[in-house]
Order: sequence, then structure tokens, then C-alpha cells
Amino acid sequence: MTAESAKAFEALEGQARELVALFGRAGYEFVAPAILQPAGVFLDQIGEQVRGRSYVFTDLAGEELCLRPDLTVPVSRLYLERHPQAGTEARYCYNGPAFRFQPLGPSATHPREFRQAGVECFGAADKAAADTEVLLLAVEAVRSAGLRDYRLRFGDIALFYALVDALDVPERWRLKLRHYFWRPPSFHALLDKLAKAERTEPNDVVAKLGETIAGKSQEEAEDIVSAYLDANGIPIVGNRTLREIAARLLDQAADLYADALPKEVATIIEYYLAVEAAPRAAVDKIGLIARGAGLDIDGALATVARRFDLLEEAGVDLSGAILSTEFGRKLEYYSGLVFQIEAPGMDETEPVAGGGRYDNLLTALGAPRPVPAVGSAIHTERLLAAVGGTPS
Amino acid sequence: MTAPSLVIAVPSKGRLKEKAAALFEAAGYTLRVKGHERGYRGQLDGLPDVAVEYTSAAEIVHQLRAGRVHLGITGEDLVREALSDVDSTVEFVAPLDFGHADVIVAVPECWLDVSRMADLEDVAEQFARNHGRGLRVATKYMNLTRRFFAKKGVTGYRIVESVGATEATPATGTSELIVDITSTGTTLKANHLKVLEDGLILKSEAHLIAAKRAGWHPRAAELRDIIARALAG
Repeated sequence: MTAESAKAFEALEGQARELVALFGRAGYEFVAPAILQPAGVFLDQIGEQVRGRSYVFTDLAGEELCLRPDLTVPVSRLYLERHPQAGTEARYCYNGPAFRFQPLGPSATHPREFRQAGVECFGAADKAAADTEVLLLAVEAVRSAGLRDYRLRFGDIALFYALVDALDVPERWRLKLRHYFWRPPSFHALLDKLAKAERTEPNDVVAKLGETIAGKSQEEAEDIVSAYLDANGIPIVGNRTLREIAARLLDQAADLYADALPKEVATIIEYYLAVEAAPRAAVDKIGLIARGAGLDIDGALATVARRFDLLEEAGVDLSGAILSTEFGRKLEYYSGLVFQIEAPGMDETEPVAGGGRYDNLLTALGAPRPVPAVGSAIHTERLLAAVGGTPS
Repeated sequence: MTAPSLVIAVPSKGRLKEKAAALFEAAGYTLRVKGHERGYRGQLDGLPDVAVEYTSAAEIVHQLRAGRVHLGITGEDLVREALSDVDSTVEFVAPLDFGHADVIVAVPECWLDVSRMADLEDVAEQFARNHGRGLRVATKYMNLTRRFFAKKGVTGYRIVESVGATEATPATGTSELIVDITSTGTTLKANHLKVLEDGLILKSEAHLIAAKRAGWHPRAAELRDIIARALAG
């Protein structure tokens, strides 16, 4: 199914030419970022899991490289190369191969080499408009390729963040909830632990320092920690600073004396993460859950609702669509809208297209200022298979 | 000369080689190098149809996986690191009580707030917020590290490969923490590192290991039992 036979390749390229032409007419400039990418960028941003899914290797000069596992990061790097000040609005489209190791062996629906055609929109200040623009373009693209029947699945990371922001919990827990959101198996355990006020037994040092350090200012804490290190002949070694060590000790000391996360709060989060319904119904449900708990996330909800309005006004049929609060918890660089387009008969894990908003990625890649960004990619082999263009 | 009934791979240098030789000696099957002293083939006194191959401890693992040798003597750490399919390719026949080494997770001693693996995910979150990247773990045990960290639910890190002086990398700034072997802990201490309470990945020692894919005709199986009994003492 990969572009391994000449015939399949022709069919794929024919389809991709149409897609790219469509993107071009919509104002997206065609770019072709490097296939070989520095591995560090991916590993630093997406973490070690990506190594397990990527072809990572060391070249003769000792540089760690990878075959790009997706095109969003390479296109973002290309944007920064062209616009180091990151102040420019830009729209790019692409078509080309990406590579992922398949632990169960490559298959037709999970090939190790596949071709993505997609768009990335950088620096557009009106986020709702840009979200809609990219979504519409993805829908139009799969339609123009002949996909009549499809289902849209939506999620929104910003909605979860809004919920966490509205909770009456200490900031250190808020940071934890946001971080563990991306690690679903550990997230539930974290909620449980906070709700039961289950303290992991403090280690000796934390227990000893805890009493003296609790409630102190950051500076006082640093002095105490510094004195402790000196007294025990322990030097500061490595990149983690005294400030960071003291800050976390302060958090741990605060946890020693903190009340449990109220059961209701844990329940609200669990309820929220269980919402999966038609878009309007889901928005209503989330509103009920939040208001029932006295939490105000109306702003974030209005953004989501307005997005659906815009889509419907543009003629997108949302009757079969789904809004799932769980959806999109895999790629940590997403920050707002996430969506995918599913073809009938194909598994949820095998969408023909997907995308979302990733407002934090470009600063992580070195942009001197935040760059709002949203994009989508079409899995062209799957799309071709879904419209019956290739023998399966 | 007839083809050997069984091939055993033993380490070609260092402490592992000496210890293996001493073990065979004590069991009454003295290891002899064939030809000149630096040769790579040998035999066991009293077992003329056993061929001995001297190979690096790491290469022995690959020979075992492929079934090119029947038996091998090498460290469990190397086997578990290099083979993702340990159970289907090799069998640990007998621990040999030498080459002891613990594969452990160690962090700077000054991380007073860190004592367990669970702390690492929180530290990773804080570190990413302040430094714009995840933690770096220096190691030559990439697979053992990945599996262990996944089991412990730690994700906010990346591995930097390190083949020597791993314990110095936190101080030089190329890593934040390490996964390495230690036997006494003095090197860690000298580099101001401490082992996490639940940071023991593997208690390793040299093993006599059998290759499941080798040709196990009756005489080979018989020789395997003889050698296993002799080495297990």
C-alpha cells in the first residue's frame, strides 16, 4: 500500500497533485521541508516515545538524525528559518513521505512509509477564523478526492485547560493536572492520589526539611536548602538549579500539610473527560457539568460553539459529528482545537485526515515570540483506499 | 577432524574471560586456546567434541539469538538490552556468580526533592517549563531504560547515548540523570550521584545461556547438561 509499486505511486501522486492544487488555490504556498531532520527536535519536544515510533540513527559525524515522523514539525522549522522574527503570517502546504516504525509490523493501514498532504497556517491572529479555514479546507480536500461519507471527530485541549483554570486548587496541582492530561494512564492515578490525600511517604530529606521549609518564601527556602547542601558536602551538579530544587521542595512541603482535592472536583474532571456526544449536545453537557460545580468556563465553551456555527454556516454537515473530550491526548504539542476525519468502515485509530491547533510549538522550537498555528494533514494512502482508488 | 557436537561462546577479554576460565578449570574442564595465545578458538580438556569460540561479550548475545552457537557465557544486562524477544530466543541456564553489576537509575545527590521514579515525571514537568525541553538520560542501555521508564509511567525525558564515562555526564551538562551499571557505588558517589530508591532496573551477573534456535541434537543436549552441572558447581 505504500508507494512501493509504480501503479500505486501513480495513483497516489495523481491524488496528491489535486490536493496540493486545491491548497494552492486557497492561498497556501507549496513547500518541501527536509526528509532528514535532527532527531533532538522531536525527542526534546515529543519525548522518548517518539523514538520508539521513529527511525532514529546516528550519522558518520555523530549527529543524531531521524526520518521525519510527521510534517508539522519540519514545516514549522521551515517557517522559522524563513521568518526568524516569527512576526509574519504564512500559509504553507506540502505533500511528501513520513516514516513511522510499526511495532506490529507494517500493514496496509499502518504502513511504515506513508505520504501526507497537508496545510499549516502560522501567525493568523483570528484563531477561530483560522481554525475554521483549516478545517473547511481539510473537509473540502477529502470531498474533492471523492470521499462522500465521513465522520468528523472533534476535541479541544483549551477546554480542558479552562476547566482546570476554573478549579479552586493550588497552582502546583493545576500544573500537574495539565501535565498529566497528556499521560492518560497516570492521570487517573494522580486524581485518585490527590482526592485521597494519599501522601507518598516523604523521603527523609523532605520530611526533615519539610517542617522548616513549609510556608517559607522561595528565597528563604533556597537559603535553607543551600545551607543543608553545604553542611552535607553536596555540591550542585548539573543543569537543574538550586532555585528549581528549592521550589519543588516547597511544593512537596505544602503537600504534606494540604487538604485533599475535594472528591467533587475529582468527579467533575472524570465527568468532563467522559463526555462524547454530538457537538451541540456535548457543549450543553459540558456546560451543565461546569455550572453544576459553580465553575465558569463559558468563554471557552462559547469559542467551541462559535466554531461549530461557522462550520455549519459554511455548509459542513455536523449531524454525524462527535465532540469527545478525551480525543487528542496523544500529541502534547496541541493546544486548542483537535479534529480528525474518519471514513466509514475504518477504525478510529486510522483517520484519513487529522489536525489541530498548536500555539506553543513554535516557541519550543526557538521562536522569539508565540506564534498561533493550526494545521491539518491527510493520510493519502488511507484516503485513496477509502475512495476505492487502490487495490487493498 | 569431525564437526563439533556443541559450540560454546566465551568472552574474549577482560574479567569475564578470566572468571570463565577459572570456573571451567575448577570444574575439571580446562579451557585451552587453540594455536597461538591470541587465537579465537579453543577447546575444553575432557570434552573433545565441544568447540570454544572467543567473542566479545556483546557479540555473544547476537550469536545466541541467531543460534550460531549452542551456549554462551555473558552478562544478563547485555542480553536483556540487546534482545527484545528474550523468552523466545534464549534460556538462562545457570547464574555463574561473577560479573555482578546492577543496572540503576541515578540522579545528582543535590536533587533533595527526588528519591523515587515517580518524582521524575514531576521534575520533567518543572524542567520543561523552565528549560523548554525534557530531561536527558545518558545511558548505553537504551532499551532497558525505555522499558523501565514506561513501566514506571515516566515519559518526559529523552535518551542521549553514552558509551563511556556516563556517570560524568550530569556534571558536564550533557544529561540530567543516568542509567548505568554499578557494583560498589563508589564511582557514583565520586560523581555526586545517588541511586533512586526504586531505581534498580536489573541485578545482573554472568550467566550460562542456551540458544533456542541452535541445533539441539541428543549429544548437544547431553553436553549442555554436563557443562551446566560443571559450571553450577
